[in-house]
Amino acid sequence: MVAIERGSLWVLAAAMALGLPGAALAGKANDTLVYASDSEPENISPYHNNVREGVIIARHAWETLVHRNPKTGAYEPYLATSWTWVDPVTLDLDLRKGVTFHDGSPFTADDVVFTFNYVLTPEAKVVTKQNVSWMASTEKLDDYKVRIKLKGPFPAALEYLAGPTPIFPAAYFKKVGLDGFAKAPVGTGPYRITSVDSGKGVKLEKSKTYWKGSPLGDVAIGKLEFRVIPDGDTRMAELMTGGVDWIWRVPTDQAKQLESVPNVTVLAAETMRVGFLQFDAIGRSDSNTPLKNEKVRQAISHAIDRKAMVDNLVRGGARVMNSACFIDQTGCTDEGVPRYAYDPAKAKALLAEAGYPNGFDIEFYAYRERDYAEAVIGYLRAVGIRAKLNYLKYGALRELNRAGKVPIYYQTWGSFSVGDASAFTGVWFKGDEDDMSRDASIKALLDKADTTIDLAERKKTYQEALSAIAAKAYLFPLFSYSTNYAFSSDLAFAAQPDEMPRFYAARWK
Amino acid sequence: MTAPAPSSALAPAAALEAVPPRRSPTARFLRRAGRNPSFMIGATVLAIIVAMALFAPLITAYDPYDQDIARRLIPPVWHAKGSWEHWLGTDKLGRDYFARLVYGARISLLIGIATVVVSGLIGTALGVAGGYFGGRVDMAIGYVVNVRLALPVVLIALAAAALVGSSLETVILVLGLLLWDRFAVVARSATMQVAHADYIAAARAIGCSTRRIVLSEVMPNILNPLIVVATLEMAHAILLEAALSFLGLGVQPPLPSWGLMIAEGKQFMFFSAWVIAIPGVALASLVLAINLLGDGLRDVTAPENRS
Repeated sequence: MVAIERGSLWVLAAAMALGLPGAALAGKANDTLVYASDSEPENISPYHNNVREGVIIARHAWETLVHRNPKTGAYEPYLATSWTWVDPVTLDLDLRKGVTFHDGSPFTADDVVFTFNYVLTPEAKVVTKQNVSWMASTEKLDDYKVRIKLKGPFPAALEYLAGPTPIFPAAYFKKVGLDGFAKAPVGTGPYRITSVDSGKGVKLEKSKTYWKGSPLGDVAIGKLEFRVIPDGDTRMAELMTGGVDWIWRVPTDQAKQLESVPNVTVLAAETMRVGFLQFDAIGRSDSNTPLKNEKVRQAISHAIDRKAMVDNLVRGGARVMNSACFIDQTGCTDEGVPRYAYDPAKAKALLAEAGYPNGFDIEFYAYRERDYAEAVIGYLRAVGIRAKLNYLKYGALRELNRAGKVPIYYQTWGSFSVGDASAFTGVWFKGDEDDMSRDASIKALLDKADTTIDLAERKKTYQEALSAIAAKAYLFPLFSYSTNYAFSSDLAFAAQPDEMPRFYAARWK
Repeated sequence: MTAPAPSSALAPAAALEAVPPRRSPTARFLRRAGRNPSFMIGATVLAIIVAMALFAPLITAYDPYDQDIARRLIPPVWHAKGSWEHWLGTDKLGRDYFARLVYGARISLLIGIATVVVSGLIGTALGVAGGYFGGRVDMAIGYVVNVRLALPVVLIALAAAALVGSSLETVILVLGLLLWDRFAVVARSATMQVAHADYIAAARAIGCSTRRIVLSEVMPNILNPLIVVATLEMAHAILLEAALSFLGLGVQPPLPSWGLMIAEGKQFMFFSAWVIAIPGVALASLVLAINLLGDGLRDVTAPENRS
């Protein structure tokens, strides 16, 4: 534990004194858990955003057909009570009876059929299509039984049904449309959304009609409030003054110091989020971009000291990644995948071979962990690549990249907490909007791997695809993330490696 | 030659010449400057900062871009854990803080001077034209100045940086195009005061061109107040750059800018206050020095009998 400097104590005391009036709404006394994070979902509908804050709300206000036990990894009944594979492309599910949506309407097969067929339509404009595109169609067998038809064999189907595929209320959604739904969403989850206030946050309340015997267990905390506070220091000050009860993504430097603050508990844990660099390998941003050259991309990969970044910047259990996926995902491996050791001399030699002995100027984009992005820029500068940082909001950067205007960027991906390699590689390499390399041979390998039932064969194919990605240096994986949670000592909270805080399982002490 | 009785700080330098000169104007200026404490303090501090900026590579052996993330956030030397190796410590990426500060002075001064050159040219040209020609020209220019004064500087600068992207050049250009109003107002009233002086009439009578009259007769006589305005605007521009960089729309990393250093140090404010305090003190000293210099300059160049 690091002792606080004497001078800093004054700053702290001042911050606490100034912040005290804000303390009225949060905490154990009001049975309201206020949690704060930096980003907010652009649309609260879980299919229409791809930020973690959206995933958190989705898992509290909606439910999926299958539940994955975070401790054992086993798939358990949730909205579906049982399921059988009729053949590799047909899955029959029996649905739970007696579940009601927050608006009082009963949950039936119609809701599942509507939701899954709706998200497959182009008009639905689902943000992360890989989450649903493995389904071909869903049909109703009876009021509490549905059949999902797959486009091809997809061994990770249950993993997806346990994650980014919540069920919407068909009648209500048809009535209000997506815009209405985003303002007043309705689900079956343990918490009911009571207000959505763009730019400020979301309020949730324990659902009185939540069904008994849910695998989520008994929900203890009465109210949840998500507050958007873009500035990290403000989040920290709010926590110290009792304005919020729970924050995360605290930079490790500050987390070490926060440990010495009374009434604050600090927890560090690895998550399945992976930070990486992605390159404009096909010259969409500029037909003469140096990044089209494989040697340049390899040079960049040799220029960055990931170990030093993990040891000094990220810390808290983060690991260096060598494959374009999170190493614990099914199918993800770095055995036999080409590795890029930190070797600035080699990087310079590769740049010279590629025809850039004096380096080049490039625009560099990032949206979070500015420190990490700046460290990468510092390493690039050391081998002669003069990168200029453009720091944007996530939504703006995503659109800029999809429009083909980003030469190189620092990106992170948390795979929607899906423990299967397809949730990572599928997004960045299967020819969709976020795919910057658009290599048909890699897409073919991934298509094969995603649909192979035999696990050994599947892993081997992923290994081939991941090796090809690394050899061509389309994407340079940096490290897995650790996140530092800091929360009120009144709160009993357990962190999970899938980067999914489960407030429904939290308790007041 | 007679001059109107000096009534304000804008009195032309010509007024000084009414006093029978015993010393040369330069010697007189230096003698008065030496007796003016705010001028001397401002000039000394500014000279130190300018010297730091000019001789940066001689002052520090470190490259401001060289990072060593294994040696990050080393505290400065007066701290128990500090050492003379990095006497102001290192930043969050292990870059030498003193080197960042010294090279950052270059950016601040560059922005200050370049902005003043751009805005000074625009403002003086408009002001002199309005004051010299008067009438409709003056009215039109007065209107343009009013329009400019109605625009909130920071807001426009933010919008412009967001539209065209932020870079050093953008910051200089945007600030230069925005900060000319005081030059215009001061140049206009100073020009109006000299426009009807006898020596201007004399120049006209011997057939000098308007260009020659403006450049050789008007300009030298309105220069002093303009120099004072230039110092104030320079301080203004440096502060605005820091504000824009702090908001993320000014100079972009990894360029060392004091505003950016303050922005980056913000996250360490609670526990390592020196990260934000050092560039903060540097920025405050520079702006204070320039303002003191400007104040002193105004007093020194004002006529003798003005208190």
